[in-house]
Amino acid sequence: MKLRKTKTIEAYIPTASMADIAFLLIVFFMITTVFQVDKTVLTLPASVVRSEVVKGSAFVVVTEDGYIKVSDGKEDTHPIDASDVLSFAVDLMSKDPEHHVVLKVDKHVKWHVVDKILEQLEQARVKNLQFLTELKTNEQ
Amino acid sequence: MKLQKEKEQPEIPTASMADIAFLLIVFFMLTTVISATKGIEHILPQQDKSDTTQVEKEESIYIKINADGTYSVDQKEPRSVRDMGFLKEYVYEKVSRNYKKPIIIHVNPEADYDSMIAVLDTLKQVEEQVAREGRLPADKGLTISIPTSAELEAWGY
Repeated sequence: MKLRKTKTIEAYIPTASMADIAFLLIVFFMITTVFQVDKTVLTLPASVVRSEVVKGSAFVVVTEDGYIKVSDGKEDTHPIDASDVLSFAVDLMSKDPEHHVVLKVDKHVKWHVVDKILEQLEQARVKNLQFLTELKTNEQ
Repeated sequence: MKLQKEKEQPEIPTASMADIAFLLIVFFMLTTVISATKGIEHILPQQDKSDTTQVEKEESIYIKINADGTYSVDQKEPRSVRDMGFLKEYVYEKVSRNYKKPIIIHVNPEADYDSMIAVLDTLKQVEEQVAREGRLPADKGLTISIPTSAELEAWGY
């Protein structure tokens, strides 16, 4: 008996689902992406206890030289005068009284600089504050 | 002459779909920032509360941070902020008995921000430890306050 000639199946890699996989990855990165509102490079203090910064938090940045920059969490940080933190905070609280504020302060900054900012934030009735830190490692 | 029309099936080209998608992936991968978005939480006092109970200095745990990178607790001898073991034990011992015990951090205006964070971090570690042992009601934390210099003046410290 003569067997039928075996048909050769062409080898191929299915690429139809490629786009699906790619879009899945896109969605993942879109959700996890937080556009950095502040790109100031400074040495943060280190701590063991740290919790995640709430997405969209406002930023108050103090550089080593004492320059102050702020951001409402949507736009990039812009420099302001030390005495204008109050009006910035009041404006922020009028939109959302529960808005989180992140303090990104260089570790070499003297306390009186931070003290003035805290005073103004308190006056503006900011409630939720967070001190940005780096993870403390054993060498430190 | 009769031409036979061949019907062409309409279709949307999807071959480049994956390319577009991967382009977007690369964009989001590059813009994603994972680092340095963590910090210590702190709740600021609300000034509109007029019934703020005046705390006596003696009733609280009073931590003073000095300008030379040292701290002293309740009038004890100053220690370096690198040596937090004492503070941890001292605060833990008091707080595990009464979690409501107020803790006041009095920072010298000339002290480094770093020193304050070191002390606050230690207190938060104690808070975690106390919470783990179930001595802290849920959603409650230690009463930590960092008075501003104006407040300190008003309190007469």
